[in-house]
Amino acid sequence: MTTTTSPAGAKSNSPIPAPSGRLHRMAAPLAPHATAARVAGGVLTIIGTYLPWATFVLNEGRYPEQATLQFFTVPFGVTGFRLHLLIFGIAAIVLALVRVPGRGRILRGVGWGVVAVSILNGLYITVEGGGLGAITAAGGAVAFGAIVALLGGVLIVLGATAGGIERRPEWRWRLNPWAERGALVVAYLLLLFLVAAVLTAGGTGGAANPYSGAVFLSFLGALGGLLAALSASGLLNWVAALAERHRVFSVVVLLVVALALPLTAAGNEYWMTVAANIGVYAATAIGLNIVVGLAGLLDLGYVAFLGIGAFTAANLSGAAAAKFDVHLPFALVMVISAIVAGLFGAVVGSPTLRVRGDYLAIVTLAFGEIFVRTAQNNIFGLTGGSNAIPGIPQVELFGTRFSDRIVVGGIQLPAGVLYYVLIVLLVALVMLVFSHLKESRLGRAWIAIREDEDAARAMGIRTGPIKIMAFLCGATLAGFAGAFFAHKTGTVSYESFRFLESVTLLAAVILGGMGTVPGAVLGASLLFVLPEKLREFADYRLLLFGLALVFIMRFRPQGLVPDRHRRAELAHDPADEPPPGGTPATRTEVPA
Amino acid sequence: MNAPVTAETPDRTGGRPILAASGVTMQFGGLRALNDVSFDLDEGQIIGLIGPNGAGKTTLFNCLTGLYAPTSGTVALRGERLPQDPALVTEKGVARTFQNIRLFPSMTAEENVLVGRHVRMKQGPLASLLHGPKFKRSEAEARERTQELLEFVGLSRFSDELARNLPYGDQRRLEIARALATDPAVLLLDEPTAGMNAQETEGTRRLIFAIRDLGISVVVIEHDTKFIFTLCDRVLVLVQGELLVAGSPDEVRGDPRVVEAYLGAPPEEVEAQLHGATDGEAPGGAHRKEDTP
Repeated sequence: MTTTTSPAGAKSNSPIPAPSGRLHRMAAPLAPHATAARVAGGVLTIIGTYLPWATFVLNEGRYPEQATLQFFTVPFGVTGFRLHLLIFGIAAIVLALVRVPGRGRILRGVGWGVVAVSILNGLYITVEGGGLGAITAAGGAVAFGAIVALLGGVLIVLGATAGGIERRPEWRWRLNPWAERGALVVAYLLLLFLVAAVLTAGGTGGAANPYSGAVFLSFLGALGGLLAALSASGLLNWVAALAERHRVFSVVVLLVVALALPLTAAGNEYWMTVAANIGVYAATAIGLNIVVGLAGLLDLGYVAFLGIGAFTAANLSGAAAAKFDVHLPFALVMVISAIVAGLFGAVVGSPTLRVRGDYLAIVTLAFGEIFVRTAQNNIFGLTGGSNAIPGIPQVELFGTRFSDRIVVGGIQLPAGVLYYVLIVLLVALVMLVFSHLKESRLGRAWIAIREDEDAARAMGIRTGPIKIMAFLCGATLAGFAGAFFAHKTGTVSYESFRFLESVTLLAAVILGGMGTVPGAVLGASLLFVLPEKLREFADYRLLLFGLALVFIMRFRPQGLVPDRHRRAELAHDPADEPPPGGTPATRTEVPA
Repeated sequence: MNAPVTAETPDRTGGRPILAASGVTMQFGGLRALNDVSFDLDEGQIIGLIGPNGAGKTTLFNCLTGLYAPTSGTVALRGERLPQDPALVTEKGVARTFQNIRLFPSMTAEENVLVGRHVRMKQGPLASLLHGPKFKRSEAEARERTQELLEFVGLSRFSDELARNLPYGDQRRLEIARALATDPAVLLLDEPTAGMNAQETEGTRRLIFAIRDLGISVVVIEHDTKFIFTLCDRVLVLVQGELLVAGSPDEVRGDPRVVEAYLGAPPEEVEAQLHGATDGEAPGGAHRKEDTP
């Protein structure tokens, strides 16, 4: 019998969560000295930033960005992790002494930020320097920076936990609507600079800058701490509420902000290309989100639809190796590719009428494999086999090739900026389609099928056609992205559409948060930025990447930007959830 | 509690039949779950369906709603034979609730009821994509109707709450609201008061009367015989897949066969039957777990 209300009941009956978990037990003895521990943690962190971090000059010379011993003696001559730590340390001391709502929670975020930054840098120096000696003492040089800062971070976390983690404060501010819009603009501009900073942190990497991976990760750790602290203060929720209140406005501003990325530090050809690739996968991930996130149908061969779109576009593009000797305008090619992919989607979706769950996953896996093999063997001469289809012409508009650099109003824009603009618009369109579908009769039917297929049928939903619609819509969106992909990269090869790509897409959807648009975009961005940024770790790249996935899933199973429904389902922080409707659900026992 | 309720229950036998089951038989392999069950449900009538566990009550519901295809026999709504597809049956106007609540747990109460409006909404895929004025109108209509229904079952305050977080009794009521959203002519309720206390049961009784007063005919499965006898115009007793007795609550209540089916035969007889049972029809069979979809 159903006892679905029991978790909710347990949750809402305890407004202040009972201290539980290992961290709470560890912190318990500190409880009387929580404030002292917090201050001490902050002080240690600051001391750590002034201490030397390595006992020698690293082999390649500079880490980060500054040569010689300066790095060890002049903390703020370099931009980088030490500055972040200093800010965290000061923040911890201030918060320990000043009472602000939710400060225990904020401090915990700050503390984790310190821990992450000091562990990452300490580990990196240890590994590169050949052992623990690199961060402790060797040849008369003493470098306890990493250890002291780590200790400080741990103390902050323990002190914060010992003092009690309060419920996240809820800001009920209502400003003048225009002031609220102004606040939103500021928030989005900050977001833009944050994105640019993440992209440029540590430079573009490669042989010229061997530490870029470490600097980037350390920046990410600091950013994580900062975001955790901001979220704990209730600020992020407030901004989200603002965005909800001025929905259209915030969408427009967000679009403008996204289009402004080429004007920031990230505005070079390299990042324009990476961003275009991210866009392709983000659009595809949103399509997959319809199938997996909304309708709950696990598709393990989804990248095939991206491939079908790409090969369709390639064959209609006028490339020398194309099967058809036509050169259609890009807009038309896109529509045709989307339709073809959509039709294949409907075909692949048809087994869903007969198989469910694991069996469906196997069928889709097989379809993905069929597609790759077919393309590899150049069946019907449509895919070029292992030669691929090279030489796909660039998209042109009024005689301007999209790969050229252009000058607008005296500002020199990087090459590839037009592709960037195009993909931003395309992703925006795909987002619009997704959210429109989600908020409709069709979208509700998909979600109902995901929740309980039999009950959905009993409510009059013809599950067969509706499920096929999910595949059709998802594949259509992937087809659009595929057409763009073909023209942007200029070459379409079956190798771009292997099983691993399907898995990565699925990971993007799950990581970002199932059923949400920002989630899919964020997931796709992470999954394609991280490998770019971690190139320095060459051999360990996939290992690190996999570890990162495992950690995110362990500590945030609902995804980075969870659907509000899924958040309720998987959140295990009871303090976050207000009791439903003010009325606790109590009756849970059900006689059979 | 009995007197005022029976007073509210005028004799409603003899209206036009709306749902007719004739000779419904359901065979699962060697097990005959239903054997030649026939009954008529008249317009505006409340029929109660009682019987021991495993008597085939839920199986009968599943046959009526197209979830199972009966081995033989037919089910007709207003004289028209019902298709064997739950979605189409619901479209024709037969809605149901489930014995073990089957809401969409991660959707809000409002969304659950909106899903119930699915069959009555004219909104194609293209409209879903474009969100034109016609879409907005149909969406607004559906939401208005949803709020009416939530109000009707007394759940307005939970409109934005996830179904999984509702108290148990309210989940049952939400399931009824969701079924009502399909604008049914006939509503089938599978144990609507299971797990409820006396007060909630009384609330459910009033709700079912209110539904009947909307002109919807109701079939109720329930174990609580007191509830059934004070609610229904007619009562059907199902025992081991066979329709044992059908009649007014008073007739059924007084029938010795019903007492026997419920309380079992006197102990000596059971003993004798157990030892003498050779045809496989052991009385213990009545404790078979109810079939659920």
